[in-house]
Amino acid sequence: MRQRALGTALWLLLAVAVLVVYVLAPRFVSDFHTRDLAHAGVFFIAIVGLNLLTGYTGQISLGHGALMAVGGYTTAALVVHEHWRDVWTIPLAGVAAGIVGFLIGLPALRLSGLYLALATFAFAVAMPSLLKKFSGLTGGGQGLRLLEQAPLQVTGLSGTVTLFGHSTSQNHFLYYLTWGIGLVGFLIAWLIVRGRLGRTFRAVRDSEVAAASAGIDLARAKTTAFAISGVYAGVAGALLAIQSEIVNPLSFTFLLSILLLVGTVVGGLGSLPGMVLGALFIQYLPDLSTHVSTAQGVPDFVFGAAIILVMILLPMGAGGLLRRLAEPLTTRLYTRP
Amino acid sequence: MPRRIQLILCAVGALALATVASGAASETGVTSSQVLIGGTIPLSGPASAYQSVGKGAAAYFRYVNAHGGVNKRKIKYIYKDDGYDPSKTADKTRELVQQDKVFAIFNSLGTEHNLATRAYLNAVKVPQLFAASGATTFGRDYKKYPWTIAYQPNYRAEGTIYGRYIAKTSPKARIGVLYQNDDYGKDLLAGLRNGLGKKTKLIVSKQNYDVTDPDVQSQIAKLKGARVNTLMLFATPKFAIQAYVFGRKFGWRPKVYVNAVSSAANVMGLATAGTSKKQTEGSISIVFLKDPTDPHWKTDPGVKLYRSIMKRFKGGNPNDVYAVYGMSAAHTFVAALKKAGKNPTRLGIMKAATNLNVKNDPFLLPGMSVKTGPGDHFPLDQSKLQRYHNGHWISFGGLFRVR
Amino acid sequence: MLLAFDWTQLAQQIVIGLASGGVWATLAVALVLIYRSTGVVNFAQGEMAMFSTFIAWSLVHHGLSYWAAFALTIAISFLGGAAIERAVIRPVERAPVLTVVMVTLGLFFVVNGAARWLWTPETRSLPNAFSTRPIDVAGVAFSIQDLGTIAVSLGAVFLLWLFFRFTKLGLASRAAAVNPEASRLLGVRVSWMLALGWGLAAALGAVSGMLTAPALASFDQNLMQPVLLYAFAGAVLGGLDSALGAVVGTMLLGVLINLLGTYVDWIGTELRLPVALAVILGVLLFKPTGLFGRVSAWRV
Repeated sequence: MRQRALGTALWLLLAVAVLVVYVLAPRFVSDFHTRDLAHAGVFFIAIVGLNLLTGYTGQISLGHGALMAVGGYTTAALVVHEHWRDVWTIPLAGVAAGIVGFLIGLPALRLSGLYLALATFAFAVAMPSLLKKFSGLTGGGQGLRLLEQAPLQVTGLSGTVTLFGHSTSQNHFLYYLTWGIGLVGFLIAWLIVRGRLGRTFRAVRDSEVAAASAGIDLARAKTTAFAISGVYAGVAGALLAIQSEIVNPLSFTFLLSILLLVGTVVGGLGSLPGMVLGALFIQYLPDLSTHVSTAQGVPDFVFGAAIILVMILLPMGAGGLLRRLAEPLTTRLYTRP
Repeated sequence: MPRRIQLILCAVGALALATVASGAASETGVTSSQVLIGGTIPLSGPASAYQSVGKGAAAYFRYVNAHGGVNKRKIKYIYKDDGYDPSKTADKTRELVQQDKVFAIFNSLGTEHNLATRAYLNAVKVPQLFAASGATTFGRDYKKYPWTIAYQPNYRAEGTIYGRYIAKTSPKARIGVLYQNDDYGKDLLAGLRNGLGKKTKLIVSKQNYDVTDPDVQSQIAKLKGARVNTLMLFATPKFAIQAYVFGRKFGWRPKVYVNAVSSAANVMGLATAGTSKKQTEGSISIVFLKDPTDPHWKTDPGVKLYRSIMKRFKGGNPNDVYAVYGMSAAHTFVAALKKAGKNPTRLGIMKAATNLNVKNDPFLLPGMSVKTGPGDHFPLDQSKLQRYHNGHWISFGGLFRVR
Repeated sequence: MLLAFDWTQLAQQIVIGLASGGVWATLAVALVLIYRSTGVVNFAQGEMAMFSTFIAWSLVHHGLSYWAAFALTIAISFLGGAAIERAVIRPVERAPVLTVVMVTLGLFFVVNGAARWLWTPETRSLPNAFSTRPIDVAGVAFSIQDLGTIAVSLGAVFLLWLFFRFTKLGLASRAAAVNPEASRLLGVRVSWMLALGWGLAAALGAVSGMLTAPALASFDQNLMQPVLLYAFAGAVLGGLDSALGAVVGTMLLGVLINLLGTYVDWIGTELRLPVALAVILGVLLFKPTGLFGRVSAWRV
């Protein structure tokens, strides 16, 4: 009983610490830098969702960049064509991407493993072409430019945002918005993972045949996982569109999908806290690599080498490392003496 | 006057002078010894071949700095990689403005990329100078975006030159167009129609391609099938070269007009090597820069200067005509900066850039001037036609001025 | 109405499609080879092929004849592929599939970065392996190069088949891929079989690059990225574990893309690739392991 109380207290402490970091972080970095952190937040949201699909349900997806495109373009189209306020488009962007995610999940029922990875990869590859085709909606090759085509719907156009009488810079606003949604998304994912749906997902991951014979509806589980991860990707895409104030096919190539998978795996499959580290990895490592040398090709080389090293040395990703470090503590808390 | 009062007056006078001399509040990015400018260039990704635009400009600025700079200030030019992704362009440009606090954005490359940052830069009143894009909108929409100006002759104007020339010299041509399916290709096509005027029905076939296409064999086959005898190549180098190669494969040798972007000597050289001298012979393009590999310019002082700068200030491969472009743009920037006076402000340099009349650019064709004014926001709007003969481009005719 | 249809144009477009597909076929076979030996798809295969192409270019640039450079590049690529397997794949040999996929993704960036660092980004060309002189048969044009490319692809597949079927090493390699545990017990050096597989795949990739570059008449560091996509698509269509399927699949894909682009107007240029990919997806839904693939049963 005492151990349980202690455990709960520690979790609460952790939660408070996270909130404190969230609120205070911008004070320690330059104003512009909070925008970088906001960008990392976009990745965070996307890879939390991807982790639910790949880490917990065992479905490899190399197409989540395309789902981000769905979300981002939904936002941009609503702002530019329908004159919605940018932030109010976020839920709809998530839903749109969730629907597309569900549709992608359908072929997943027949394909598995590598074939599924390649099918989702094909979707990612095809996305820029699709975006260029339907140019009436998407602006074609030029994309949609929120600031230029619908400036009044852009929050923080003047550089400052005023909420509830409190004024803050646009960069700060983007940071708080993105990571705020990120924390909520994290919480939801955590509840899913802990609950019945999470157990269903894990059963599908561990053995489809066994899960099916245990009465799990594989089709529903897989498509649900795809849909949920789609919603996350869509919200991330919407936030990206809001941050960059543009969407363009060139921003959603298959490289983005690869980057998201890298972030998920490096962060740790099946580890939600690891996703913070995964997001920071894909946000900052390419930039840091340019500090090693700005010579052509070196940043890519360093980035790739880092991925390989992590896979060799830390295959369970940062999350696995966290779990190992936390093990002594958690075993003490949760095992009887 | 009593000695003490003299001294005091001197001291006051000196102080006053010192205050005045240190100048009024100085502009962002400008200090007493330096002007900081920046831009975005694709150093990685599908368009990284164009990075010499940045390298050439950087070498020129180093040269100018070695000779004292402009009004005792050295020009510091930083360019960041946007990987040809417009949302990265937006990010890096914001970084340049908000973090690096540059005086102006200069020489950023790419049409969608400059479009992505135009509204922001105009909103925060930071000059978007000499954008490296041939899209017409940058010169046409200055009333809405007064802080933006491009540089190179725009694509529509180029297409118009071809159209007019064909209408005049080959009124019975059967024209076929291979164009890239984006604004660049479509602008060239629109210009062609514009230049043809009443003769647009000379265009008997239009085939486009997407950069994701594996090759353009199919399109070339169809153009040949339509009995085209005049081929307009509104394509980037990779696909322009293919057009020649597949033309040869299908036994087809139309008269070719190849757009300036793909007319660089090394591109034509590759096309010739992959086909035959006959296949590329007689191709026509426009030119506004001195191509450093053209033996015609071997002893030209401008090209000599270019080569010496590239060598001494590490500009990269000197046979790359994109570097010449970058150097010319940098030369124009320096002219604008000089014109902006001893204490350049952002507004001041915009005014200078939109009222230019530079006649001594050593990298442009003789007779060309960099000219802007009220109502004319196209710094370069002249070109000459050139014909490919025996492995070299030879210009002919006079300077066209087109807008 | 049948007579009014332009049969020559159709035949021409089919030939063009086969020629395009033939260029992708060798890379597709390389993908299949790695899949069969290591159980993963090597996302870096295209970049490795591109790197080999640059090596060939450097050799030619330094005076070697085309065929000498060709042979030397194949040898170098073989060694390079085996070395990469030893260095980077071996540590994760027994790891789950996704880990190995991640390593190949890392390899993608590593090889691409290395190629950008070692060679400048301008456009280059590789001399043609075969003559580009066009041959005209009943109004349909194709070149010796097309035939040569297809012949080399088919030849490579044939050689591989001979190797795997009739040599002791080949047999051991197949055993190692199918059942590593049992093979080990029989004395097969499973690890070295994997290195062999990667070496052969890299050599095939080198061939692919050295055929693609002249076919497109120019190349730079982005040469193989589109080819990789088409090779994937073709290999998946044909069945990831069938080399013959890879060849047939890529050539079918080439023809499909071309015919779609020629005859279905609303598709337009942007949709050619997505439609082709959708067709493949459609095939997979009916035959999840591809046209020539074999269904395996898994133990729970």
